[in-house]
Amino acid sequence: MQFLELGKEHLTTVMDLEQKLFPEDAWSATSMASELDASHTYYLGVFDPELIGYAGLSTSAGSFSSDIQTIGIALESRGQGLGRKLMQQLIAKARELGSEQLMLEVRADNQAAISLYLDLGFVQIDVRKRYYQPAGVDALIMRLPIKQPIVLGIESTCDETGVGIVQGNRLLANALHSSMDEHSKYGGVVPEVAARAHLEAIRPTLEKALAEAKLSMSDIDAIAVANGPGLAGALMVGIGAAKGLALAHNKPLYAVNHLVGHVGADVLERGAVELPTIALLVSGGHTSLLLVRHLLNDVELLGETIDDAAGEAFDKVARVLGLPYPGGPQIDRLAADGEVTIRFPRGLTLPKDMEKHRYDFSFSGLKTAVARHVEKAQDAGEDFSKADVAASFREAVVDVLLTKAINACKDFGVNRLLLGGGVVANARLREEAQKRCDANGIELRIPRFQLCTDNGAMIAALGSQLVMAGRQPSGLGFGSESTLEVTQVQTP
Amino acid sequence: MLLAIDTSAGTSTAVFDGEKLLGFVEYEDPFGHAENIGNAIAEVLAKAGISAGEVTAVAIGRGPAPYTGLRVGMAAGTSFATALGLPMYSVMNLDAVAFAHGKAKILVSSDAKRKELFVATYESGERIFGPAVLKPEELSKFEGFEQVDGKCNAELIGRYSLWAEASGVDLSDSSALYLRSPDVAPSAGKRVTG
Repeated sequence: MQFLELGKEHLTTVMDLEQKLFPEDAWSATSMASELDASHTYYLGVFDPELIGYAGLSTSAGSFSSDIQTIGIALESRGQGLGRKLMQQLIAKARELGSEQLMLEVRADNQAAISLYLDLGFVQIDVRKRYYQPAGVDALIMRLPIKQPIVLGIESTCDETGVGIVQGNRLLANALHSSMDEHSKYGGVVPEVAARAHLEAIRPTLEKALAEAKLSMSDIDAIAVANGPGLAGALMVGIGAAKGLALAHNKPLYAVNHLVGHVGADVLERGAVELPTIALLVSGGHTSLLLVRHLLNDVELLGETIDDAAGEAFDKVARVLGLPYPGGPQIDRLAADGEVTIRFPRGLTLPKDMEKHRYDFSFSGLKTAVARHVEKAQDAGEDFSKADVAASFREAVVDVLLTKAINACKDFGVNRLLLGGGVVANARLREEAQKRCDANGIELRIPRFQLCTDNGAMIAALGSQLVMAGRQPSGLGFGSESTLEVTQVQTP
Repeated sequence: MLLAIDTSAGTSTAVFDGEKLLGFVEYEDPFGHAENIGNAIAEVLAKAGISAGEVTAVAIGRGPAPYTGLRVGMAAGTSFATALGLPMYSVMNLDAVAFAHGKAKILVSSDAKRKELFVATYESGERIFGPAVLKPEELSKFEGFEQVDGKCNAELIGRYSLWAEASGVDLSDSSALYLRSPDVAPSAGKRVTG
């Protein structure tokens, strides 16, 4: 006997059984086909070797609720507990998808089914009179509450100390302490300054998150921490804190990948990350293009920057233009008054570069080109428009980021693009991304800004996905991994 | 029950019931703090035969010491104490080492990297100089002091904090004791064209 997920290729087999089981009110083949094919449904069949039973689950994203669509067992296979087994698997699936309740309708005269559901923990919450026609039988509405894990996540990979709390896919708290101001006089993130700030921020940020979620530590079911990639000294503070927390209350601990956390943040926006998706993560520390087929099992790095991160380029160009750190918002503001009058180079876009570095980025040449342009004008005593330089530079960055991201979508036939990282705050990047995605029939996802920048909630969300999927916690012996690969979603 | 944590040199933990040491664990590796801190805490609790919930106070070493490693133990102690709502005693590492030498006239020093030392001197059980960062040749000006290796561990942190707490010494400053500013100068920016 074998349990298999059903797809539209099983339509004929399923319809044969459906018509046998429900002669009065079988679904039409059209309805069944769309059910089996839909991305928000999960149909499971049991084969021996022919199909002898099936059941379906529907989960609309963001509703935190799933429904049992149907369940049927062939007459000759009843009495072996197959219905129970199918139900248990659908309950597990609903839990994994972050649902907080599972609903179903059952005929009031189907005593066997009702006792099974009661036994599984369902409670009757309503009756629909004469719901099943033509027989005129009532439907009982039953509900199974699902307690999703409460996970606390710690982020300390760079200059933000984040503590987030989620329950399943629901955001409960996202407390943040940034040391950005302390870095501004240095013109960039200083690892030792960041590490010092993390240690000071850990207690207040933790207390703030718990207060925001109105929870105490004993309510937390698991701890997650980003153990890379990032600055080693900064990561180590978060790891120390996470281990102390986990041991204080004997909670399971999950070491998770910071970059995959950026992708996972979207579950907090709509209950699930729709997959597959291309993800473009752009910040002061990263410029990475990912192909995500499965959040926990299949994340592929398509390309990344070979020198400066995009955010770093904004900081450096801001300095060239005499603007303070961080450069992104400064350049964005200045560029709003300028026009794109200068064609600055787009790194790694020449045909020969595209062969080797189709999805890689390079921004150091661009920064140098901007500096050269500015110095030349200054040396000649020429009047030049800083706003035009800012707008032209920004355009070059946005163009190359989106050209490569859209290429990736097309090359892999993936019609979704997810943006993450602090550079997403850039208004021009968001606007142009929308325009190019619309033109190419690509769905664009941008989580709210507080979930795009480094934050603890995304780490908690990824940890929560691991818990819901039944993954084993990490051991206590993991360390910081500055160059952790995106393929390693969890460090054992 | 006091849980003491120190990552000033290796990674070490200790549990005290009153003055009595119930368990001590030490990982010598001077670089594996993040890796070892969890097991060091779990193992010392097991050795002492207590659960985390039975701990009533936490003591940590706050330096001076190489800070990347030091912060791991401080972060773990801070979060452990915060999670359980426990008081936390933060101990200056050289004080903890000196305490084990009673009222002797001593100079305690530990490696501050970059060919420098963290130094403090003590007489009659009182600190009279430091903590400060000095070059080794500067130690010659301290005459008549017995030189003591400042390598610290959680047992010393625990013993000192038990005495200090009973004697009314203030151990509430839980920040790391930094003796140097972060190692950077603000960037002036440089030209790309000659």
